[in-house]
This record gives sequence, structure tokens and C-alpha cells, in this order.
Amino acid sequence: MLESYREEIIPEKWYNIIPDLPEPLPPPLDRSKGRSSIDLLNDIVPKEILKQEFSFSRYVDIPDEVREQYIQIGRPTPLVRARNLEKRLDYRGKIFFKFEGATVTGSHKINTAIPQAYYAAQEGSSGTVTETGAGQWGTATALASSLYSLPCTVFMVRISYQQKPGRKVIMNTYGADVIPSPSDMTGSGLKFFKENTNHPGSLGIAISEAVEYAMKKNLKYMIGSVLNSAITHQSIIGLETIKQLELEGEKADSLIGCVGGGSNFSGFVFPFLNDHEDMDIIASTAEEVPKFTRGEYKYDYIDSAGILPQLRMFSLGADFVPPKIYSGGLRYHGASPSLSLLVRNGRIKAEDVSQNEVIDALKIFAGTQGIIAAPESGHAIASALRYIKANKNEKKTVVVNVSGHGLLDLGIFEGKRE
Amino acid sequence: MKDLYLYFTMGYPDMDTLERFISLINADKVNGIEIGFPSMDPKYDGPEIRKSHSSAVDPGRERMLEFLKILGMKNIPLYSLQYYSDICSDIEENLAILRESGFSGIIVPDLTTDYFKDSEKVIDHIEESGLDFIPFFSASSPDRVIARQCSLTSSWIYYGIQPSTGINMPMDMAPGVQRIRSIAGNRKMIFGFGIRNEDHVREAVRNGADGIAIGTILLKYLESNDKNGFIDLVERMRVALNDNS
Ligand SMILES: Cc1ncc(COP(=O)(O)O)c(C=O)c1O
Repeated sequence: MLESYREEIIPEKWYNIIPDLPEPLPPPLDRSKGRSSIDLLNDIVPKEILKQEFSFSRYVDIPDEVREQYIQIGRPTPLVRARNLEKRLDYRGKIFFKFEGATVTGSHKINTAIPQAYYAAQEGSSGTVTETGAGQWGTATALASSLYSLPCTVFMVRISYQQKPGRKVIMNTYGADVIPSPSDMTGSGLKFFKENTNHPGSLGIAISEAVEYAMKKNLKYMIGSVLNSAITHQSIIGLETIKQLELEGEKADSLIGCVGGGSNFSGFVFPFLNDHEDMDIIASTAEEVPKFTRGEYKYDYIDSAGILPQLRMFSLGADFVPPKIYSGGLRYHGASPSLSLLVRNGRIKAEDVSQNEVIDALKIFAGTQGIIAAPESGHAIASALRYIKANKNEKKTVVVNVSGHGLLDLGIFEGKRE
Repeated sequence: MKDLYLYFTMGYPDMDTLERFISLINADKVNGIEIGFPSMDPKYDGPEIRKSHSSAVDPGRERMLEFLKILGMKNIPLYSLQYYSDICSDIEENLAILRESGFSGIIVPDLTTDYFKDSEKVIDHIEESGLDFIPFFSASSPDRVIARQCSLTSSWIYYGIQPSTGINMPMDMAPGVQRIRSIAGNRKMIFGFGIRNEDHVREAVRNGADGIAIGTILLKYLESNDKNGFIDLVERMRVALNDNS
């Protein structure tokens, strides 16, 4: 019975929004003088992932083997009616949260790590490499690689490496090597490492390092966010949520999530967009990394060194080094092109939340629902609290994506500021 | 019979060489010629065609018009490939030159993505000027954009297989093509971007191409002034196109 319930909720296909966008998605741009930076992906990304990236099918079959692994790592994740929070806020509408923190690695990141590692293994690659900010993506990559017996290397943004030693231990336990970035192991890292051996790093720099390392060592580079294939895999969040709401006989009026590169948010929201034209949709970003409110909508590099192609997106500049906030996963200069397009055209509203407001929201959520949410997810919760306050009398059904747990991010509550 | 379209960059490698190669083209074998006018920023082209833009020789107005006149006498439909970012400031003059030189239509690769809000107005304007606006679609074109542009135009459709010219990423052609077909009906679809050999041609035809456009692979023959190689290539492409038809 348990299995059949799961089978019913976990979709058989991922959803890709591109054919349903209101405007065409600007293609990736190659600015290189020599070899095309798009062509370069052929060496470091599994063929099947590239196929998904460039074929733009509206629906993509989830391999049976991947569906089985989804069950193994805790999918479907719960959709919980937050009755305690409703009561605390004296809210007469309904609040639901989708809890991606319930996966074994603690966030949504495993949703795309599994298929990427699966295809990498199928194609006989010799190992994986990636970057990680908060440590959630590195953890997911480390586990997914272990599931398919692939050696794994993770470049971890140094500030997170120092703030979250537990993440390193977990990745090591899953069998991965963890290197603080910027490091002296790649050209793109060395540039910053020489300047300052204690450079806090950024996701942009760590991506450059991982890509460079993948090329040098002939490894597969795992795409954590931003690119469309990762976002398509994350659609499992929204597809499950739709099904779970349906089973509850509920209909969402508002969707709220947080944005780093855009994968958990887009995965959560995009499957709803076609059939729910009148929903309020809010993307919550860090005030310290205000890509949507202060960034420019333009072609910019994915990584700091400009090894990968440019994407048309909201960006604070590929060389932007964000302040050292606890939400490591939000310390990225850009956001995925499809999400950027929908924010720009007004379908999705964006707002910034400060770290202090996040801490308050995390405490309220913990004190009512018992969950210590990830600092990144704290932005979504804070935006939800704002939204509920502003719509107190409207009895809306608000659904929040809580992208991860924060059990390894407790420093944020001790008021430690580096 | 399937169509074969050839792409050249104006002034590359130089006007005399280009003219010599154009004179080799036989109207029995080639159904259309596309002329790319060098752009300040040919952003949706790959490294090789970008290089042809930056090193093309500027012929000057007189020489260009003379060249276009020669082209016009070949009795092969002509299409310009121009970036909207280059022509928007002087679109009237541009359309007038094309029309007077006997061009049939215009392909504007950046219009729909970079100037979406203006795109329908521009398409109307081009169509009213007596030139065909050739819709440029790819697997990423949304349904509603395909539907709108098909309703505003009546020509063939340019289908970009790859995200830019000159590269080859793994992909399933079928879903994108089938989706466009389901909206565009039986409009002629010419596939371009990334066709480098006979296998690519056959794959395009298998996936429903009514013809193909090639550009990047022609460059090396022009660069080395290899006329026989060029004639042979056109012949081989022609054969591959007919293979499945
Ligand atoms: C828990 C959590 N939420 C959100 C994010 C932000 O990434 P994305 O916007 O791709 O979901 C991260 C990234 O590390 C994360 O770990």
C-alpha cells in the first residue's frame, strides 16, 4: 500500500516549461574566440543530459531506475498543512509546505543529482566533479555518485567550508573528496588563491574550478542549478505537489519559494503555470544578493572565469562576490534564463529578504512546525509570512516550498557574523 | 525534391573570391542563397561564421550593389540574413536595397528573442514592404510564438537545429520538429545550423526537413579557393538530400 501511494504521487515524466513560455528563450551564447564554449559541454556533461538540455521536449521520461532511486531517497516528499503556523499567525486561510528537506541528503538537490549520476554511469564515465555553496548540492552529488560507484570531487566555496564542517564530513562519508575553493588546483582558482589564501570564494568561482577540473581529469561535471536540464529534473517537486493538493481536494492560490540559481523554485512553480493563470507567485531572494531587484537582465557568464557559455538572465555580474551570508545557496550572481524571463515579464514577482528577517522566520517556523529549515528556505518562509500578513483577510491557500533542512546550518542562530 | 540553400557572408573572404564561387552555383542544384551581411555582433553564430563576419572585406556601397545585381541575375531566390541590432536604425533603406536587388525575403535571427515586444510590428512592416519575413524557429520556440508568427507570414520556415551555427550538440530532433509541424501545418521547413556532413543531411530529412541550409562547412573552400572541392561538396549534399526523398 505504501509503495502504491508513492507510485501514484511520483510522476512518470519530468516537465520542461520552455515550449510553454510566453516568449522565446534566448539561446546560450558563445563568446569564445577559439573552441565554442557550448561545444565544450560535450566533453564534460553526459550526452543524455545535453540531449535534454537542447531538445526542449515538453515531457521527458523519468527512467524506471531513477524513479526507484527517488523512492529510496525519500520521495515523494511530504506536503504538510501547517496548522500550527496558521494558528500562531491567526490566519484564516491555509498554509501548506512542501518539505524537500525530507530527502536523505536534506534538500531538493538530490532530485537532479540522481539522474545526472545515472546517465554519467551509463555512459561509462570515470567520475564526477562539481561545486557547492551551502554544501547541499555537494552532498547530493556525493551520494548520487556513490549510488553509481563513481568517484566524486567537490569544490566547496571556502566560506561555507569554514562555516559548515559537518557538510564536509558527510560528503567524505559518502566517499567524495572536498576541496575548499578558490584552490590552487585550477587556473581559475589559483588567480584568487594567490591574492588571498583565505578568499571566501563564490559559486561563480567554484563552478569555474569544477569545470576546469572536469576538462583536465576527463570527469563529468554535475550541473547544480541554472541550466534547464537541472530545472526540468526539479519539476518533480511541483508535479508531486499538484498531485498531493489534488488528493487533498485543495487548490493553491499562491506559491512561494527561494531562489539561488533558480532550480528549486522553478521546479516547484513551473508545473503549475499553465493551468493556474491567476496565481500569485513570489520568488524570494537574499537582500545581500539582489539579482532580480538590482541586477540587470542581460547576457552574462554562468561562471566567474567565463569558461561556460553566457546566458540571458538577471545578473549582478559574473565577478560579483556576494557578502558572507549564511544562505550559501543563494550566493550566486544570476538565475536561470527561464525564471529570469518570467520575472522580467511580470508573471513571477520577486522580493528580497534580509538575513535578520530570515532568522526570525526560521524561528517562527521551528517553534510551530518543529522544522529547522535551511537558511535558503528561510527566505521562502519569510516571504510567506509577509504575504500572509498582507493578505490576512483573504483566506488564500498559500503553498511554500521548503527546499531543505538546516540542521547543519545552526551557526545562523548563534548570531555569528564573519 | 528537397531544397538546398547555401549561406555566404558578404565580403568574405573577399569580394572577388565570393563572386567567383557564386558563379559556380547552378540553379538546378541550389534552391536558395542566403547572404549574411557582416554584423557588429553576430551573436547567434558559432566561432567560424563569427570570424567570417569580423574579417569580411567591406566592399563599399557601389561594389556591394554591383555584387547584388550579379546575384539577382542568377535566378535563384535570395535571402538576406541580418541581425535586427544592425538594421533597426535604417530599416527602410535596408529593405529598399534588398527589394531592388531582387531579394525574396529576410531572415532576422535575433528579432524574436531579443526584440520580442517589437517583433510583430517589424514582421508586419517587412511583409508590407514586399519581402517575405522568414520565421526562424528552433526546438525552444514556444507554441504561442510559433502560432503567431505563422499567422503573420506565409513563406517557408527556417528551423535552427543547433543553438548556434557550426556546433553539434546531442539532441533529439523529433520532438521540436513535430511540435512545430503540429502548429505550422505543411509549411516548408528548411533546417540549418550545424549541418556538416551527409549523415547530418540524412538525419534532417528523416526528421521531416523539406530542405537544408549549409554555411559553416562552405567557409573552408572559400578560404582555400578550392572550387572543385566546393562543387563536389554541393554535389554530395544534393545526393544525400535525394537519398531519402
Ligand atoms: C536548501 C537550498 N535551497 C535553495 C538553494 C538555492 O538553489 P536553487 O535556487 O537552485 O534551488 C540551495 C542551493 O544550494 C539550497 O541548498
